[in-house]
Amino acid sequence: MSVKTVEEVKEWINTEEYKELNFKREAVVINPPKACQPLGAIFAASGFEKTLPYVHGSQGCTAYFRSNLSRHYREPFSTVSDSMTEDAAVFGGLNNVIDGLRNAYTLYKPSLIAMSTSCMAEVIGDDLNAFIGQAREKGSIPEDFPVPFAHTPSFVGSHITGYDSMLKSILEELNQRQKKSTSVKGVEKTSLINIIPGFDPHVANIREIKHMLGLMGIKNLILADNSDVLDAPLTGEYSMYTGGTPLQDAINASKNKGTIALQKNSTMNTIKYIQEKWEDHPAFNLYPPMGIKLTDDFVEKISDLSGIPVSKELEKYRGRAVDAATDAHQYIHGKRFAVFGDPDEVYGIVSFLLEIGGEPIHVLTATGNKTFQREMELLLASSPHGQGAKVYAGFDLWHMRSLLMTDPVDMMIGDSHGKWAARDANIPLVRIGYPIVDRVNLHRYAVVGYQGAINMITWIVNTFLDELDRNSDDAHFELLR
Amino acid sequence: MNKLEQIAFDQPGCAHNTSGHKKCVHKPSGGESCAFDGAYIVLNPIRDTAHLVHGGITCGAHNYESRGAYSSGSRLYKYCFTTDLSENDIVFGAEEKLRNAIIEVHEKFNPSAIFVYQTCIPAMTGEDTEKICQTAAEDIQVPVIPVIAPGFMGHKNLGNRIAGETLLKYVIGTGEINRSLEIDSELSVNIIGEYNIAGDIWNILPLYKKIGIPVMAKITGDADYSEVAKAHHAGLNLMVCSRALINIASGMKEKYGIDYIEVSYFGINNTTHALKETLIYFHNRKIITDQFYFEKMEMINRMENEAWASLIPYKKILNGRKAVVYSGGVKSWSMITALTDLGIEVTAAGTKKSSEGDKDKIEQLIGKDRMLEDTSPKSLLETIKNTNADFLIAGSRNQYLAYKEKIPYLDINQERHTSYGGYAGSINLAKDLCLTLKSPVWETVKSSAPWENDLENIFKAAT
Repeated sequence: MSVKTVEEVKEWINTEEYKELNFKREAVVINPPKACQPLGAIFAASGFEKTLPYVHGSQGCTAYFRSNLSRHYREPFSTVSDSMTEDAAVFGGLNNVIDGLRNAYTLYKPSLIAMSTSCMAEVIGDDLNAFIGQAREKGSIPEDFPVPFAHTPSFVGSHITGYDSMLKSILEELNQRQKKSTSVKGVEKTSLINIIPGFDPHVANIREIKHMLGLMGIKNLILADNSDVLDAPLTGEYSMYTGGTPLQDAINASKNKGTIALQKNSTMNTIKYIQEKWEDHPAFNLYPPMGIKLTDDFVEKISDLSGIPVSKELEKYRGRAVDAATDAHQYIHGKRFAVFGDPDEVYGIVSFLLEIGGEPIHVLTATGNKTFQREMELLLASSPHGQGAKVYAGFDLWHMRSLLMTDPVDMMIGDSHGKWAARDANIPLVRIGYPIVDRVNLHRYAVVGYQGAINMITWIVNTFLDELDRNSDDAHFELLR
Repeated sequence: MNKLEQIAFDQPGCAHNTSGHKKCVHKPSGGESCAFDGAYIVLNPIRDTAHLVHGGITCGAHNYESRGAYSSGSRLYKYCFTTDLSENDIVFGAEEKLRNAIIEVHEKFNPSAIFVYQTCIPAMTGEDTEKICQTAAEDIQVPVIPVIAPGFMGHKNLGNRIAGETLLKYVIGTGEINRSLEIDSELSVNIIGEYNIAGDIWNILPLYKKIGIPVMAKITGDADYSEVAKAHHAGLNLMVCSRALINIASGMKEKYGIDYIEVSYFGINNTTHALKETLIYFHNRKIITDQFYFEKMEMINRMENEAWASLIPYKKILNGRKAVVYSGGVKSWSMITALTDLGIEVTAAGTKKSSEGDKDKIEQLIGKDRMLEDTSPKSLLETIKNTNADFLIAGSRNQYLAYKEKIPYLDINQERHTSYGGYAGSINLAKDLCLTLKSPVWETVKSSAPWENDLENIFKAAT
């Protein structure tokens, strides 16, 4: 194949021929909509009380995670690294762990240190379990100080895998402590339901779930709740630890009535662990409650599990969302959408679009697996509005660009990285997901639950209407829309 | 230490090198990014090239599109190309994958050159990235340039230096100029260590145009590959961030006999100094006539006076205010001068990201007592409070921390969206400082809720 000139390339990249070649690409990823495991791991750790995320490995990576999370939430984000350098690459990172744990423990006085790894430690094959044990022997940390850990190389999985591994490890570690302290035989169950939000970049989602459960009178424990850490009030005094799930509550989590995870793909191993190890403790892995139908499914599940009927208040709450959907359906019905992001979010958005007549066309994720692809295809097949859609699992935003240029849509939904492809295709981008670094406060709005459905309708419809008003000629510029 | 790293450390342009070869480079410490990032920052602004990150997903995915280096041409440099290594690549080797990735990038984008960054993983598996680049370049007949700066090698600053060495070794000196068509190379300059953050260089280039000095190459802000390649034809190097790229200037002096002077374009006085020094250099060597020289010096005075006049309304607000500054390299001292221009007193300056040379300059400007080596959040916050500073002027990593403590803050690093370079940029800086300081939000932030006052009063009345 002949190489084109720069000018020729400009035109050529918008063609069907280029798209075909682009999809044959094997060795290079271009503009990836994903992050690596340790980012997810420190995110999971941030949801626990007085917990210090710790990355064993190269310090550069940790600096990236901190800026990345800090830009999305517009909050400081604390994580430490034991800064492995060339010496450690040769001799292994044992000394880094011994010194690092000692410093982290004495300087920042955490109640728990959650250790993940960057790829450097993983290529050498550092054994965290042994290293942490030796650090204890050397007195870096007290004998019983909890240091759950997860091996999180960047060359396996993605941020959602890292989230899953770290959360599982923390719950495992804390749960063992419960067994040690329980002398009575048999476990008395509480009426609490555990909720696992998953790698959820919208802090308001946690608040919306709590609100809905509150309307039903269901007591709950969020595992793990970083909403007060990543959306902390301005008090004039910066604190490294501003909230999070109390460790004692997490220790006793298995005594609660059951667990529901709201992001299937980012909690697979955690839920499997709970199902296998926590006695008499039902655990479910759902797609996120986005849109009316998936929220209904969640409400039913929670009602079944708790034995508490759906309250009149929650019915009214639902009714308002249904009303909002009805008021606005005409603006969305028949519109064509491209959706990208993490698998759970993408599934939720597509399910929501289908129920108000939006037509997903390009559905793309970098991090979804085969099961996700199958379930997504089943969902699309179940609706007349899903017939034009194609699912791409394990693809990047350069693939997405080809799709937009050859088979145009009206709107793209995804994170901030989508803005260049959207600009080239001359379509608006509604921002849902991670990271959102070019708009303010979106993480403070829920996209799950009935309020989340209202928010998504608001953003999507008003974006279309803003475009219409800005682009219409005098004749078509109207007061009523 | 490999050869390139040795060269990067062993810097003859640094007077401080005498007491040990690592002195010149800023020492590694916690909380900051790595050598890969440092190299990427320097090379990435070369806009018509592809930047292929050979490693796991971390290095490419967390960095792309997020630096504010503007381009007036191609935007190819913003794309993240990565080999996104998997477990199999590590077990069976990723050399073939890298070769294919280079070819795919070439076929699909036809960039002027491809920079290939070797990150931690291929460095640890012992891959010969240089060799792969060399053979690939022969195959595709386009420069494929290995950048050997794995993160574990050291700090961001070391990466800056490695990028400099890479440019010297592979790029500078490879391009030719057409003497009949192009600028007078004897009278031209290169601007080194200026990345066009928020369009800084677009406020600097017009100034050189006005004083009749052509710019041969910008290294690397808003540059094309071909212009960096022919930089060795320039008559003088203007070294902006010496901490990052002094090795390019000293290397070009050694290799091509091109002199360099250290300059900064932050603040009115610094800008004038930079422009005048350039003229003085060419005048001393009789490359420009007396008449040309005096005319242009006069022009600089006029431009400077205009800038001072525009500052008057802002200076009224800023005069006597106090600031704590924490930035790196050239900005760590030139920002102090720029703020002094505005009547602001710098009560402390963080020096963790400054070279020894930068520190000397800082000491001259504000004295040793005001130099802050410990730039941890705690130390910065305490210093702001203890010195009654009105604001913190720093990079984005401290932004939200400052807000949490109710401290006005201004970003002077790569995430800002306004140019602070040259005369026009100095006015922007004054304007932004006023906006930051005078925002009514601080009144809301600093006052407590009305009922809290009521409670306090009740409490007082009761006791």
